[in-house]
Amino acid sequence: MPGSKRLCVRFFAALVLTGALLLLSVAVGRYPILWEEVLEDTLSRRVLLTLRLPRTLMALTAGFGLGVAGGTYQTVFQNPLASPDVIGVSSGASAGAAAAILFLDGGLACVTLAAFTGGFLAVLSALALASAAQGRGMNTIVLSGIAVNAVSQALLMLMKLAGDPERHLAAIEFWTMGSFADVTLRHFLAVLPWAALGLAGLLLLHRQVLLLGLEPDEAHMLGVPVQGMRYLVLLLATLVTGAVVSVTGLISFVGLLAPHIARLITRSSRFSTVMLSGVTGGALLLASDILARSIGSSEVPVSVVTSLLGAPFLFWLMCRREAGHG
Amino acid sequence: MAELLRAVGLEAGYGDRRVLHGVSFRLYAGELCALLGSNGCGKSTLLRALCGLLPYRGSCLLEGEELRNLTQRQQTQRIAYLTQRGGVSLSLSALDVVLMGYNPVLGLLERPSRAQVEHAKHMLEEIAGPGVAGRDFAALSEGQKQMVLFARTLLRDTRLLLLDEPDSALDFPNRRRMLSLLRQRAQQRGEGVLLCSHDVNLALRYAQRLLLLKEGRLLCGVRVDAVPPAELAEALSQLYGPVEVLRHGGYFIMTGDERD
Repeated sequence: MPGSKRLCVRFFAALVLTGALLLLSVAVGRYPILWEEVLEDTLSRRVLLTLRLPRTLMALTAGFGLGVAGGTYQTVFQNPLASPDVIGVSSGASAGAAAAILFLDGGLACVTLAAFTGGFLAVLSALALASAAQGRGMNTIVLSGIAVNAVSQALLMLMKLAGDPERHLAAIEFWTMGSFADVTLRHFLAVLPWAALGLAGLLLLHRQVLLLGLEPDEAHMLGVPVQGMRYLVLLLATLVTGAVVSVTGLISFVGLLAPHIARLITRSSRFSTVMLSGVTGGALLLASDILARSIGSSEVPVSVVTSLLGAPFLFWLMCRREAGHG
Repeated sequence: MAELLRAVGLEAGYGDRRVLHGVSFRLYAGELCALLGSNGCGKSTLLRALCGLLPYRGSCLLEGEELRNLTQRQQTQRIAYLTQRGGVSLSLSALDVVLMGYNPVLGLLERPSRAQVEHAKHMLEEIAGPGVAGRDFAALSEGQKQMVLFARTLLRDTRLLLLDEPDSALDFPNRRRMLSLLRQRAQQRGEGVLLCSHDVNLALRYAQRLLLLKEGRLLCGVRVDAVPPAELAEALSQLYGPVEVLRHGGYFIMTGDERD
């Protein structure tokens, strides 16, 4: 089978799988949905529209966003293990969420906004530090990210120390483990434009993102304004990641795994691979969320599932690289 | 011959460390010029300064215009540069890597046209051989990678080519093919080529002029076909110690002078 046809078949299979998981995600849950009653004003209809559909759409969007953003981080940092933590998105968002839980009312809208602001401020600080240091290499940004990460972690620890163990600490811990349990249509619609804006930017700038994967001199001489483009792309990826985690809390491994799976399937880094990273991320997160609400009597945080699925895969990837396959 | 590049009293370096000390020379259209010098003498630094990648003191005129006054886009549209350490760590086909060469003439969101893709395929096939276009760049041998990057450098028919040891991983036939093609393009299309190399004999065979750089200073420029072997040997001795230059079949060959 020619390469392009084989790729089409695989892409189609990924879409079918995601579609099936989407339907399963809507159907699975504590309250069974009676499909024949959905058109009327019944409990099934309310469960579908207010709980399952927003949750499912959020999981799909979050997975897609984390998959595309994860691939972008890996390309720009020229590191297959790069993640939003590298430039402080996750720790900044955690500190923001903890501040909202501790000092404000701790409602979901408030935590969402604070987490988004925290993540964005952390990245802006990391990029500003890197800019002030006048280093041209990626290492300057990574080192700035480590510094911002450390400060955010210190702030988070201080807030945990100051918080009430029963009220605040549990809420902070639960946020850092990620969950779709409290997602409503309002929250989904509130973050969707930001995630869509970031995703549209990343997809449109795909060619420039690939050029950022070259050595800085090489990219410069191919017409890429390296530093400015790097900052723009990282801010767009942060917009996506920040929008997602501000609603869901931290979600581990999806942004790392989805691009690797997509590259294994396409053996390329072209536009189709970026889209497949998104679709794979969506499928992974839908499956993880379905498991998270099905395996126990009470719901398990989604990061527990993604980490349990992700760690063996990472090990397999490591072995494969050592064996010279990747 | 039209002057493509003129450096006057060029000084450049990294932070407080100055590497180039007042380098002056001219490069003309239709000329293949080899920049020779031992490791660490400042060859790559000179090329980077001439590309606008390093700030410099003195003057560097690109077709009469001061380089630092041109925008990055103007610079990259007029200069094709092949770095010593280049390439892609991602999984990308060789054709996709070559197509990156069009970026300086494309809009931010624009993609290469069908005609550009066809031209890139043709260029890649001519330089790296048939069947390479669809292969994963990362899986190619180092020599094949250099040929793919060389194809990318020639893609836009830029008038000025600055090449930093483009042949370091190539086997002998490919090395000859690369140099011969550069010479041919320079003569037929009026391109100006400045090439860093450690292969003195190929430089003597294909370059019209040698620029000898030592400890950041340009020792001299020697027109290969205009001086006798003894004079060439004397110039090259300043870089490589005692050497002998012999004439063989109309070309020159440098060997170590065993008498010393």
